[in-house]
Amino acid sequence: MLKATIDADILKESIDAISALVTECRLHTDENGISTRAVDTANVAMISLLLKKEAFSSFAATRSELGIDIAKMKNIFGMMAKNDMITLELTDDIHKLQVSFQGYKYSITLLDENTIRKDPNPPTIELPGKVAIPGAELNSAIKAAAVVSDKIALGIDAAKQIFFMAAEGDTDHIRREFGKDEVSFINGVEAKSLFSLDYMKDMGKVMSRAEEVEIHLGIDHPAKFSFNIAGGNGHVEYLLAPRIEAD
Amino acid sequence: MGVALRDIIVEYKVPVTWEALPGVAAVDAHNALYQFLSIIRQPDGTPLMDSNGRVTSHLSGILFRNASFLERGIRPVYVFDGPPPDFKQKTIEERRRVRVQAGVRWEEALAKGDTKEAYKQARSSSKVDREIIETSKKLLSLMGIPCIEAPSEGEAQATHMVMQGDASYVVSQDYDTLLFGVPMLVRNLTISGKRKIHGRSVTLNPEKVTLPGVLKGLGITREQLIQIAVLIGNDFNPGLKGIGPKTGLKLVKEGSFEKTLREREPDFDPAPVIDFFLQPPITSEYDLAWHPPDTVKIEEMLCGEYNFSVERVQKALEGIVGKAGQKTLDKWF
Repeated sequence: MLKATIDADILKESIDAISALVTECRLHTDENGISTRAVDTANVAMISLLLKKEAFSSFAATRSELGIDIAKMKNIFGMMAKNDMITLELTDDIHKLQVSFQGYKYSITLLDENTIRKDPNPPTIELPGKVAIPGAELNSAIKAAAVVSDKIALGIDAAKQIFFMAAEGDTDHIRREFGKDEVSFINGVEAKSLFSLDYMKDMGKVMSRAEEVEIHLGIDHPAKFSFNIAGGNGHVEYLLAPRIEAD
Repeated sequence: MGVALRDIIVEYKVPVTWEALPGVAAVDAHNALYQFLSIIRQPDGTPLMDSNGRVTSHLSGILFRNASFLERGIRPVYVFDGPPPDFKQKTIEERRRVRVQAGVRWEEALAKGDTKEAYKQARSSSKVDREIIETSKKLLSLMGIPCIEAPSEGEAQATHMVMQGDASYVVSQDYDTLLFGVPMLVRNLTISGKRKIHGRSVTLNPEKVTLPGVLKGLGITREQLIQIAVLIGNDFNPGLKGIGPKTGLKLVKEGSFEKTLREREPDFDPAPVIDFFLQPPITSEYDLAWHPPDTVKIEEMLCGEYNFSVERVQKALEGIVGKAGQKTLDKWF
């Protein structure tokens, strides 16, 4: 069972965060809120999203699993305006989600959750380098890098206490360094890994809205991007596998 | 092999671009494997082989073709033949005879040093045997591509999947598929690109044939198209000597199908063949799911067991998995 009311903007923010990586996901509901964890088809990136019940204006749910067609949701909610209130209702027929806003009533057929990839286990990865940076700054650097290359290096220079983002193209390169005055070094140990900008661009758009994004890095390891949504009542984590250049 | 409808269908073949093809493609597996085996050969006709002399042409075809399908947003599902209907026995025996004969001629041509003839005969000697099928299925499943067993003919099952809305079109070189009622048949997908025909190198591009287009163009019904196939011969009956597609079309259009058969082959009852095309054994129980390729196991199989070049295999897999050097999260889970 699910019966909830939520601000359109928060719902959109959540769907955008998921749709940056996957087109469908399993949504779990329980009395504390909703959550999902999904890996993209190429197994390169993972999203974990949690929306606490406090993110909703009203929320009541029991434990259940919903197969959500994210691409379809994105289209449906594309026409919502900011501050619209949306009600979501899942009755006993667990294959139809009733959604209403602005006087529209949708009955949305859910996906058979058995056809969606099983939830990945939460990975345990040691990523010692930790910095926090404003989302808008992160996204700007990603966009700048995308002009010259299809991959971007993220790293921490421990000696200089600098967080850097750098991209090498065939002919051009770009480097942006952030000192202590711009980012906070939670743990400024040496780190550097290379990532695909195809993924970073989509994730960057979503992260640009976050006041602060915590980045966890290692050496040739995945990166974790962790940030709040829904005014602190929700949380997103992206995990992105690195590209490793052949020697 | 198949049915010689080409002459009357050629007008209704339409070139199709790769951009128009994303979606689920139901591939006639036997046909695709046969194409790989017959085409992927060295100039003297020797197929690709590993150090133990095992044929690997089909594995090469499966890897590189599917990598390019997936990269272009085409999700293939391979439909394998089940047991053939009894009346196909003759065709199967005839094919075996042709194949064995071609094998002998291939060796003769090689002995004479006639490479061109050797290549031609070698192609005709291709055989999709159990070993080929099993290794193909293994590689396909490692690539995360679904394989389906048809209750009988693969083309019929593939057609059914298109009718069910689970696939967008059938991929096969054979026009038989049209007789089973497929709305859209796409050709040259498993062989497109540069190919040697009669010693000349030509570029083959994908083309589509739609059943409504063919029927409308010829001014006949699907039942009549099947009648033509019965007259000219197909996988299930040898047809009448001297009747080709054009004569067949004329006879069927003037309503002389039954009369012609009565006069020429009074003992032949076409009903089982016609019924088979109209209502072939099919199943609606199949599972369609694509998974990311198991790159480690694919490398183990192709490079470890069959001597493929690591570099080439990795390059093909990159297209599916992502850009060069892109790691997957698997390693950290």
